[in-house]
Amino acid sequence: MLVYGDNINSSTLDCTDDMARAGISGAGRSDSLLDSCADGMEKGTGCASATRRADTAHLRAVCHFLASYAGAMLGCGATCIRIFKNITRMVETLHMEWDMIVLPNHVLITLSDGEGKVTVQESHSIMKLPVSYQLNARLSNLSWKVAEGKVDFVMARKLFTHLISHHDKGLRKPWSVMLLVVAANASFCRLFGGDVAAMFLVALATFVGYSYKIIFLKHKWNVRPIMLMCAFISTVIGAGGYIFSLSSTPEVALGTSVLYLIPGIPYINSVSDMIAAHYLCGFSRFMQGLVLTCCIALGMMAGILLMNLSIF
Amino acid sequence: MDVLFKIFQDAFFAAVAAIGFASISNPPRGALKYCALIAATGHATRFCLLNYAGVHIVAASLAGALLIGILAVWLAPKIKCPPEAFSYPALLPMIPGMYAYHALQAFILSLSAHGEDEFQHLFYLSESNAVICIFIILAMVIGQMLPILVFKRRSFTSTR
Repeated sequence: MLVYGDNINSSTLDCTDDMARAGISGAGRSDSLLDSCADGMEKGTGCASATRRADTAHLRAVCHFLASYAGAMLGCGATCIRIFKNITRMVETLHMEWDMIVLPNHVLITLSDGEGKVTVQESHSIMKLPVSYQLNARLSNLSWKVAEGKVDFVMARKLFTHLISHHDKGLRKPWSVMLLVVAANASFCRLFGGDVAAMFLVALATFVGYSYKIIFLKHKWNVRPIMLMCAFISTVIGAGGYIFSLSSTPEVALGTSVLYLIPGIPYINSVSDMIAAHYLCGFSRFMQGLVLTCCIALGMMAGILLMNLSIF
Repeated sequence: MDVLFKIFQDAFFAAVAAIGFASISNPPRGALKYCALIAATGHATRFCLLNYAGVHIVAASLAGALLIGILAVWLAPKIKCPPEAFSYPALLPMIPGMYAYHALQAFILSLSAHGEDEFQHLFYLSESNAVICIFIILAMVIGQMLPILVFKRRSFTSTR
C-alpha cells in the first residue's frame, strides 16, 4: 500500500508510469510534476517543496483514479449509495478524505490528504457503458481488494484499466440475448392476460424490433431515435391482432409489444438514489428514463396512427 | 388443483420474463438462475395476494417486492455480486405495463375528445391508471430497497 513519508516519491513515480502505460489521461501532467520533484530531490534543493509537489501529484493521481472509477460505476448502472460505499472503503485505506458531486453527465471528486493541507479536484465524464451488473460486481470487488490491502494503488489502477477495456468480455452475444428477451416479452404478455396468439404476436414484434435495435446500435445511432424506431416497428407488428383478428386479446398484444424497450433500470435506480437522498443523480436518471419513455410513446403512437386503429 | 396450476404458471412466466430482462443488464455468470427463482417467488406471492386474499395491487406489489429484496440480499454473497443484480430484473415482471399503456392511450384520446364530458372521462381514465401505475412502481422499488438498507452490512459486503 502507499503510505506517506520517505518512500512516497518512488511509489508515485511507479504509479504515474502505470498511468502513462495504461493510456490514462492526466498521467502526463503528474509525470512532469514528479519528474521535477525527483530532480529537486537529486540536487538536494527545495526538498520540502518537492515533497509537497509529490504529495499533490499523488493526490491528483488517486483523485483521477477515483473520478474514473465513479464515472465507470455510474456508467454501468450502479446506485449512488454503492458508489459512495466503494469509494469510501478505498479512500479510508489511503488515509484521505473525499467528497463527490454527481452531475447528469459528469462526476466531480474532491480529495484531500488526512491533514487537509492539500486538496485536489478531478472531474470525469460518466462513461458510456451498457448496464452491466457483471462490471458493477467486479468494480465493487476491486474496492474490497484495495480496502483489504490485497492490491496496492498501482495494481488497482492496472486492474481498473483492464476491467474497463475488457468490459464486454464474457458477455452474452446480442443475438442470444435477443432470444431470451423474445421469450421474456412473450411471457410478459401472458402475465398480463394475453392468449397464445397474442404471445406469438408479441414474440414476433419483439424479435423484429430487437433485431433492428441491434443493427442500429451497431451503426452507433443515438439511443433516442433507436427507441422511437423500434417502438414504431414493434407496434406495427403488434397491431396485427387488431387488423387480422388473430387474437382475442389484441389490446394486450399491442400494449406488451414495446415493453422490452422500457428503461426499467434507470427508473429503479432513480428511485433508489432519491431514497438515499442523492436527489440530483436520482432526478437526472429519472429524466433519462422519461425521455426514452417519451420516445417509445411517440413511436408507438406513430405506429397506431399508421395502422389506423380504431382505438385512436 | 386449478389454483396450484395457475400459481405455478404465473411463477413460470415470471421466471422466464426475469431471465430475459436480466440478460439485458449483463448479470454475472450464475446469477440468472437466482433471478428466475426470486422473480418466480415474488410474482407468485403477488399473484396469490391479489387473486386469493383480496389485497390491493399496490400492497400486493409491496409484499412481492419485499420478498424479492430479502431473497436478493440473502443470496447475493453466495455468488459475490450486488443484490441489485438479482432484485432489479426480478422486479421487472411486476412493472405495471398495461396500466401505463392505458394511461397513455386515454391521455392521447383526450386530445380528440368532443365536449367536456368526454374529455373529463378520458382524463379521469388517464389519471387513475397513471396514479395506480406510479404507486405500484414506488411500492416495488421501496419494497426491494428496504432489505438492502436494513441489512446494509450484508448488502454492501456481498461483493467482497
